Amino acid sequence: MTVRRIDVREKVMAKNDELAVQVRDRLHAHGVPSLNLVSSPGSGKTSLLERTLDALGARVRMAVVTGDVQTQNDADRLAARTDRLVQAVVTGGACHMDARQIITALDEIDLEYTDLLFVENVGNLVCPASWDLGEDAKVVIFSVTEGEDKPLKYPRMFECSDYCVINKTDLLPYLPFDMDRAIAYAREVNSDLRFFFTSALTGDGMEDWYQFLTALARAEGAIRA
Amino acid sequence: MHELSIALDVCRIAEEHVGAEALARVTAIGLDVGNRAGIEIDNLEFCLEALLGSAPFGSGKPEIRRLEGNELSVTYVEVEDDDGS
Repeated sequence: MTVRRIDVREKVMAKNDELAVQVRDRLHAHGVPSLNLVSSPGSGKTSLLERTLDALGARVRMAVVTGDVQTQNDADRLAARTDRLVQAVVTGGACHMDARQIITALDEIDLEYTDLLFVENVGNLVCPASWDLGEDAKVVIFSVTEGEDKPLKYPRMFECSDYCVINKTDLLPYLPFDMDRAIAYAREVNSDLRFFFTSALTGDGMEDWYQFLTALARAEGAIRA
Repeated sequence: MHELSIALDVCRIAEEHVGAEALARVTAIGLDVGNRAGIEIDNLEFCLEALLGSAPFGSGKPEIRRLEGNELSVTYVEVEDDDGS
């Protein structure tokens, strides 16, 4: 018996990356910009989307693909606020979404009539950073209850995001959260991050976010990953 | 947290290169894993040991080279050949 070595040199994520390219090509072909919302659990991704759908739904045709580990809860909350299609991906315990799930979800979305696509990823600041879903940009939601040093603890997620929404600002009077330090830590990891400061509960600060989304939706595919 | 799904992808890549019928004769799979690849390397090694030690594999072992950076790739697969064939 002899042992034969076969050279492989293949990236483990190559298959996912290939599928992500297909997603990106398909979205760009229809001029649909896309944002992948990532965060720890409970940062307010669904609440941010609920308020966004309420505020912009009449002007911008938004579709949402939600990933929930075990329930339909997020999808149900969003479906109550829009007649635009909301696709739920129950990940069955998986800690992230992958590009294959997005391809399947896109089959159910009428892209000709979609101005902006959101993917609401699984709440997890580690794993979703490794999977390109074919989005134009990642938006990391960072709530003020989490502590200023999250960007340093989870650098990869902040590094691979283009935008950072600092949420739950209505709670700032009750917390020792130091906003300047949080921003400094996030910039330390990614100096190009653009920030939004919101309370998805009260609506405070949402105008800046809405303006960004409105401009993005109309400028077809203006941001490219 | 997702090391098992990564390990399953590693097995899929090995199968693509050696064919399903040769999996039982795989002795080693070489990987390069960076310290910033978002992977808990010990956990990945544990998952691969479990997968490569049971059907359709036989008694394969992961051989992981730890590097700096984001690298996550399969570098080689070693297969035992029957010289008589």
